[in-house]
This record gives sequence, C-alpha cells and structure tokens, in this order.
Amino acid sequence: MSERGAFSVTRIPGFGLIAITTFVLLYLPIVILVIFSFNEGLSQSVWEGFSLRWYEAAFANRQVRDVSIRSLWLAGVAAGLATVLATLAVLGTTRVGRFRGQTMIYALINQPLMVPEIVTGIALLIFVASIKVQTGYTGMGYLVAAHTAFCIPFAYLPIRARLETLDPALEMAAADLYASPVQAFRHITLPLMVPGILAGFMLGFVISLDTVVITEFVKSAGQDTLPTYMLGQLRRTITPEMNAIATLFLLLSLVIVTAFFLITRTRGR
Amino acid sequence: MAVVNGARVAAEIEIAALGKVFGQGEAAFHALKNINLKIATGEFFTLLGPSGCGKTTLLRVIAGFEQPSTGALAINGRQVAGQGPNKRPVNTVFQSYALFPHMTVAQNIGFGLKMLGKPRSEIDATVAEMLRLVRMEALAERRPSEISGGQQQRVALARALAPRPRVLLLDEPLSALDLKLRKEMQGELKRLQTETGITFVFVTHDQEEALTMSDRIAVMSAGRILQLGSPDEIYNAPVDRFVADFIGETNFLTLPVAGVSGDQAHLDLPGGTSAPARLPAGLAAAPGSSVTAVIRPEQAEIAPAEGADLTAEVESATFFGTDTHLHLRLSDGQPFILRRQNRPGQPPIAPGTRLGLVLAPGALQVLRD
Amino acid sequence: MGGNGWKWLLCAPALVVLVLAASGPLVIVAIYSFLSPGNMGGVTWEFSTEAWFRVFFRRDIFEPDLVTWNTANLAIFWRSVWLSIQTTVICAVLGFPTAWFIATRSPRSRPFWLFLITIPFWTNLLIRTFAIQEMIRNNGTINTVLLWSGLIEQPLQMLFTDFAILLGMAYVFLPLMVLPLYAAMDKMNLSLIEAGYDLYGSRGAVLWHIILPLVKPGFIAGSILVFIPAIGAYVTPRVLGGGQSLMLGNLIALQFGQGRNWPLGSALAMLMLIVVVVALVIYLRTVGRSDGERRV
Repeated sequence: MSERGAFSVTRIPGFGLIAITTFVLLYLPIVILVIFSFNEGLSQSVWEGFSLRWYEAAFANRQVRDVSIRSLWLAGVAAGLATVLATLAVLGTTRVGRFRGQTMIYALINQPLMVPEIVTGIALLIFVASIKVQTGYTGMGYLVAAHTAFCIPFAYLPIRARLETLDPALEMAAADLYASPVQAFRHITLPLMVPGILAGFMLGFVISLDTVVITEFVKSAGQDTLPTYMLGQLRRTITPEMNAIATLFLLLSLVIVTAFFLITRTRGR
Repeated sequence: MAVVNGARVAAEIEIAALGKVFGQGEAAFHALKNINLKIATGEFFTLLGPSGCGKTTLLRVIAGFEQPSTGALAINGRQVAGQGPNKRPVNTVFQSYALFPHMTVAQNIGFGLKMLGKPRSEIDATVAEMLRLVRMEALAERRPSEISGGQQQRVALARALAPRPRVLLLDEPLSALDLKLRKEMQGELKRLQTETGITFVFVTHDQEEALTMSDRIAVMSAGRILQLGSPDEIYNAPVDRFVADFIGETNFLTLPVAGVSGDQAHLDLPGGTSAPARLPAGLAAAPGSSVTAVIRPEQAEIAPAEGADLTAEVESATFFGTDTHLHLRLSDGQPFILRRQNRPGQPPIAPGTRLGLVLAPGALQVLRD
Repeated sequence: MGGNGWKWLLCAPALVVLVLAASGPLVIVAIYSFLSPGNMGGVTWEFSTEAWFRVFFRRDIFEPDLVTWNTANLAIFWRSVWLSIQTTVICAVLGFPTAWFIATRSPRSRPFWLFLITIPFWTNLLIRTFAIQEMIRNNGTINTVLLWSGLIEQPLQMLFTDFAILLGMAYVFLPLMVLPLYAAMDKMNLSLIEAGYDLYGSRGAVLWHIILPLVKPGFIAGSILVFIPAIGAYVTPRVLGGGQSLMLGNLIALQFGQGRNWPLGSALAMLMLIVVVVALVIYLRTVGRSDGERRV
C-alpha cells in the first residue's frame, strides 16, 4: 500500500470525512437555532449580543404556557396509559410460546409504526367527528386515546426486550424457593422489568411530545399542544421567541433521551 | 427403605416406573423411560450421563418444574406428583446459579425463608449462619454482579440450603467454573453435604466429578438408567457397553466362554491361557459362546513372556506425563491399550517389541450385551 | 394452564385502544372513499366510485363525458414518490459512510457516536424542520453568510422549493438509515474483510464484493424506514414547501380543509396506504430472500 502507517482493513478512504461532515450537518442547524435564542435583537441570523429576553417573553406568553402544560399533561397521561397497556400486552405475548392470533396481535400493536401519521390523522378526524356529533363530547379524551394508541408500540418494544432477556431460571428459582406464582411475579419478574417499563414510558412520553400531525387533526378548538401551536406560528413572522421555546423543548427531549439511554444500558442490574 | 451399597436405609426419594414424554404423536420425545430409583436420606447421589440423556429432566421432575407423564414420585414418603416446585421440600442449585440480580447476597439467601413466611429474626439468623457456612460473611451486602463466579456459586448453594430442604438438587453447578476452582468446589460441596446431612442429588456429565464425590452413581443414556452403583462398581465392574465406554478408558475384548461357575465365567484368552471374569447379574453365558469383556488399561502389567496371560506387540506409544499409553496388538489381532506408570530412568519401549502381559485378578468384567 | 385465554385477556386492553384509535378508523377511511361528499365536509351515505375516479381523472366542467388525466393530482403523487426516492438515495449516500465510521470506532467510543445519531432521531421533528427553515430562509443563516462573503448579491430562494423539502426530509430521516446500516455492520465478521484483502482484493473490490453484499439487509431496512415516512410526509413539505410544493400528505389534508371533499381525501389516503404496503411487502420479500442467501 502506498500510505505509510499500518494498513487497516476497516479503513475506507473518504468515509471518515463524509461521516464527520454528516455529524456536523446534523447538529449545525440545531446549534444555530439554540444560539439565536439568546440573541439580543430580532434577527435569527445576525448576532446582536447576548440576552435572555426571548426566554422571558416565552415565559410571559400565556398561550405558550398553556400549550406547554397541555403537551406535558397529555404526554404524561398517554405515555402512562400506553405503558400500562403495553406491559400487560408484553406479559401476554412474551415467553409464552406461540399461540393462534399472535401474529394478528403483533400486527395491531405495530400498526401505528407502519401507517403514515397523516393517514391515521385524517382517519381519526373522521371517526372523532362522527362521535362528536353523536355524543357532543369535545374534551381531551380523543387526544388521550389517539396519543395512547400511538405510544403503545413505542412503549411495548423496550418492555418486551427487557422481559425477553430475563433468565427464565430466575422465576424457576423463585418457585423452587417456595414463592407462589403471584409472589414470584411481584418479587422477581416485576422488579426486573422496571428498567424496561421506565424506558417504555420515556419513549412514549417523547413520542407523544413529538406528535404533531395526529394532534393537528384530532384536537378540538382550544386544544393546541406545543407542536401544533408552533406549527401554526411557523406561518407568521417568527421572532427568536420561537427559538427559545424550541430550545427548552429540545432540552427536555435531550434529558429524557439521555435517561433512556442510561436505563437501557444498565443490563442485568 | 432403600438399599445403598449393601445397607438398608430410609429412602428420601422413591421413583417408580416414572416416564416423561414431551410432545405428542409423531413428534413425541421420550425423555425418561421407566425410571425406578430409591435415593437414601443423607446420600450424595449423582446422575451421570452425556447431554440429552435425561438426567436434567429427571432432576426437574424431582424439583417440580416438570410433571411426570407416568409413574410415581415420593419425597420423604409423600407422593408429590401434581405439586408445584413451591410446595416441595427440595431446593435447586441452578446451572446458571439464577441469582436474583436486583437483590443483595443476603437477600438472595433469605428469599426462600421469606416466602415461607418465617419471622424476620429467624431469617436474619439463618442467613448469617448460611453466610458463615459458605464463607461469604464479608460480601453479604454485595449484588450478584459484583462477586466472582465462584462466589456466586457459593451464594447459590447457601440460598438453596437456607430453607433446610430435605433434598438439595444440583444441576451441573460446577460446569461454569474453571478447572482449579472446580476442584476446590468439589471438596466444598462434599464438606457441606457432610456438615448438613442433607440428601444431595447431583447432575453432571463429568465422570471424574461423579467418581470423586458420589456415594452412588446412576449412569443414564437415552432416558434410561443403565447402571446404578458405587463409584467403584461403576468404574471397575461396568455391566453395560455404554457405561464401560463412557467412564474412563477401557479395552473391549471379544472372548469365548470356557465355562461358568456361579457369577464367574472362565474366558479363553488368545494364546491358549484362560482367566476368570465376573458375570453381570442375571446373565447366563453358555460355554462355547463369545462374550464381550472389558478390562481397564491399568489392570494389566508387563511381565516376562513365559507365564504371562497374554502376549502382544507394541504398535505405538503416547506419552501422557504421569504415564504412557502403549497401543498393543494381541496375538489374535485385537487391539489393547496398556497404561504404564512413568518412572525416571525407565527404558522406553520401541514399536515392534513383543511383550508379555499379566492381568490383575478380577479385572475382567463381562458385559451384558 | 387453562388454554390461551389469559394471554388474550392481558392483550385485550391494549388491543381495544389500538382498534378504536388506530386500526378501526382506517376501515372507516376505506369505507368513506366509496361514499359521496357532503356539502360542508363529511359524507352522504351513497355509494360512489367518484372519489377514486377523481384521484386519477378529471371531467370537463361543461362536458362531463370528456375525461382527461388528473394531471394536478398525478403530478403531486409523482413528486411525492420522486422526492421520497431522492431522499432515500441521499440518506444512503451519507448514511453508509457514517454508519461505517461508527461501526469501526473502538467498542468504548461506539455508544457515544450512536448516541449522537440517536439524539436528533428522538428530538422533535417539527423543531428540526424549523431549524432547517431558519437556515435556508431568504434572510436565514446560509443567505446571510453568502451575502456577507460577497459570493451572491441577491438572497437565494431556497425555502418553498423542492430542494427545501428534499433537504428537510434527508435531514430529518437520516438517522433512520444510519441505525439499521450500523446494525448490519455490527453483525459483520471482520475476518471476511481480512480474507478479501488476503485474497488480493483491492479496497474497491473488497467494498463492492464483500462489504456491500454483507450490509445489504441493512440497506434495504434503512431504505424502507426512510421511504415510508418520506412518502407520508406532511409537516416537512408544509413548513419548507409552503403552498407551492405540495406532497401527497398535504393534498390529503387539503381535502379535509378548504377543499372539503372527504371521500376524495379518503381515497388519496388509501392510495398512500397502498404505496406503503407495497413498500413493506417488497421489504419483507427481499429480507426473506437475503436471509436465505446468508444462511449458505
């Protein structure tokens, strides 16, 4: 080989450069967005000095506060429900041997992952519209149901992954040591599933926070969440206040994702 | 009552005509076939066999993880068929140890007593005693992931012993340890068994482990018990071709029967001499017919050709450190391996040398087949 | 054991929610696509294939018998497919070296790089699209820098073009390509590459004959994972394409907004679903086949 230095079988010329460029391109827009949230002036491309005025503006904005609280509330409720439902479904489908209808159950659980959000969105719009006409109910129930269904596959995956890696000998050992099936579940299986359940909840939470299309089509008047509020605002003249809101939002996602990573990496503890 | 090595003692486990079938119809797999077994109280009993022979299934049936398809199983005189593992006075040491990763060493050991609803004080006392027994006092508050493999092994033992079961079941507990640690734990297991007086049922595929630790061994293959006996009987008087082949190294010789008297047969050796051989119980060998007899490689010695039982020619020699294996050809063409202790200054034996062999008295054993 | 009833019982709550709020409504969409539109949105319960007809064809207003292709719809449909294919290719071209880069890091630093790829994946899609919008606006970062450097005199019109949509989708969906590619590379046996070089393969030959075939399943999985959300994209073309560059998702949404033709919107949604299902079937078939190849 013409190069000096050791020949490496894993080296492909140019790949390192492309990869680093990709990483930079991936983060550059986000970094710029964050930087200009601290801009003194109105511009999002010309730096005019450091200031927290846009954060103050965002916090003072009642509408922003309302939609943020609604988003967090919705994400908490939907992810919580989805986690409970997914945990039960995992217990019914994992390590139980094959049974009739299992494929159908998997298909139903994974369906929200496959179908484009816009299709689910208009489908729910049609469905919800007719229920609204029949019952007159226009509360948050529709959004909760839609978000819960959408979060189930995301909550299901880490919980299932956790239960699958659980050594069946542990439950056998519990039974051998005089634990009844209920005791074995309470003292062994459930505590060991907790990291998966937590991870599932976090994933569901992030997904619910992220969901904009479904919310857009399902929400009634006055039920804007942070993403749909932002989507509406993006049509207008945008001030760095939007950067400030986005930055806070990013920070929240980052915290949750980091926690998720840490939880799923500590295996067998 | 069970008969153990000639003595009548109380039976801890009685298994009668027990069978286990997995699957149905065409796909049915008979994991255990007509097992009859009595294990005495306080006995160190070993189930020995290659993987897939049914030894682990039998252990799981005793533990209650599997229910027998046919037959009866009694523990301490009580029928336990249909009972779950949590209702049986037996505890298991798992091959993977199966220590609860979210509990400390002490919590692991106390788990069984907690499930039995014992008071806190009693649990604490027993856990302390068990920790002492397996010499793990210093590590009581560690998690299983924070201790070594050998230490995990001790915790698994302590956990299974803590509820003071009538029977301790051990499923290849030493297989995950390296050789040195395994030797150490063999001694440790034997000590624990003597100290606690609990009946041990030990599953292994390691013949050496079985021979050194057991009071009695059941050699299993294809779901059946082929031979049941003390390590000495199993090694020196195998009655079955599989048993003879599975345990240690041995020479198989096809020899004509000269005569039979009681449980002894006289076999014609190549070269004109004859030698006595033990017959397996219930085998009637007709004079003139041929039988297979086995003899261990260390049960023959080199001797002057005159007066020797056999003569043979050396084909090759393999050096093993403590001894040398001489690959011989008997005068009638049958192969024979001779183990010769190595001593300093001993002259090597060159291929082509003709040797005389003397067989140790009682070394020949006739097989059942 | 009591049969399998308990398994169904455990799954039942999740299934009820999924059927009510995810799968069931799709059936309603399928039904609506065969009904007649109502006056103010909604439908009237009369069977009609008009919606499906109008997906592809158009009737002359004055002469209803004069039928021509609905070029407006077809153009949007074609643009959606074409943009999705382009997005997939861009993601593959950038994603392969990136995944390779991660896979060849030391085992200790690999989680860090993976984490870097995963973070954007889990951060809000709308925010990432907003970030791109900030970059390419007429008075955005790129134009500001270019004007300042004197390279251009007038700001480049990037926002509200096909290019903007392409950039946004590639940006947003790139992690979906990198992750399966990485997974395939992670499973790859390094000694196969060593054997390639040992048998006198050049770098190009090893890349083409050994590495690419081995990571093919990752490519297929990644392509499907990028293509499906791209064809279904709604937010990205809405924010970056404005009203000018519509994709299928926006066309569907329009039928439930100002356009108000629910059956047509339903038919278009079913069309999108069909495209997705076809992509999934192709995926499952090729994965099944390449699994067979790998077993050899």
